[in-house]
Amino acid sequence: MNLISGIDVTAGALNAHKTRLDVVAQNIANAQTTRGPNGTAYQRQIVSFESELLRRSVGGGLPLQSVRVAAISTDRTPGQQVHNPQHPDAGPDGTVTMPNVNLSYEMVDLITASRAYEANLSVVKNAREMALKSLQIGK
Amino acid sequence: MNPIGSINVLQGSPLQRTDAPLPKIGLPQATPNISAPSEGFGTMLDGLVGTVESKQAAAQAATRRVLLGDSDQLHQSVIAMQEASVAFTMMVEVRNKLVESYQELMRMQV
Repeated sequence: MNLISGIDVTAGALNAHKTRLDVVAQNIANAQTTRGPNGTAYQRQIVSFESELLRRSVGGGLPLQSVRVAAISTDRTPGQQVHNPQHPDAGPDGTVTMPNVNLSYEMVDLITASRAYEANLSVVKNAREMALKSLQIGK
Repeated sequence: MNPIGSINVLQGSPLQRTDAPLPKIGLPQATPNISAPSEGFGTMLDGLVGTVESKQAAAQAATRRVLLGDSDQLHQSVIAMQEASVAFTMMVEVRNKLVESYQELMRMQV
């Protein structure tokens, strides 16, 4: 049993959103990478979440659903073709396949993930304050 | 993947030992056997201190893992520290209540 209720659910959510932030960082970092480990241009990664049922061994309470990262999948949208014959990764016709990373999308994802992380931190703060307030009963 | 690994450590046997008797001393045990000697109270208090100590040890371990670079679960370590802090505050409250009732008894006129 945890003294701070629901904190393990929030911990899972924090972990999931941190993974999402990491993947957004990876997408932004590789926005110009035209040669990955497999020789092709970088492909944008997408994080998907799934709910996770936490078991409550002692102390009772509702079996709450936390969240975890289900998969990190690859966005298969074809990347932009740029005509740049001087580029070392240019094809025979002089075009380079750029990564399918759209910086505007990534910035929106970054803001969303960051705000979701902040929201979960607020839950942590409030749960802790509730626990401390209940220790003040009768004073 | 277990995202709450360091917190699930806390749900082991020492927690069951103390958290199970805690509600019992409040309501049900008070009415039927008032005259029964409370030999279990000392062990329960011992268990409470043990729980707080194990929470602090878990928080310390999580923080050490983060500081040594073995883990990037910064929030886990801070949450574990907060848990340990709340548990410690609760232990101090219980002690304050005990001392208060003891002093109340000592002030009794005979």
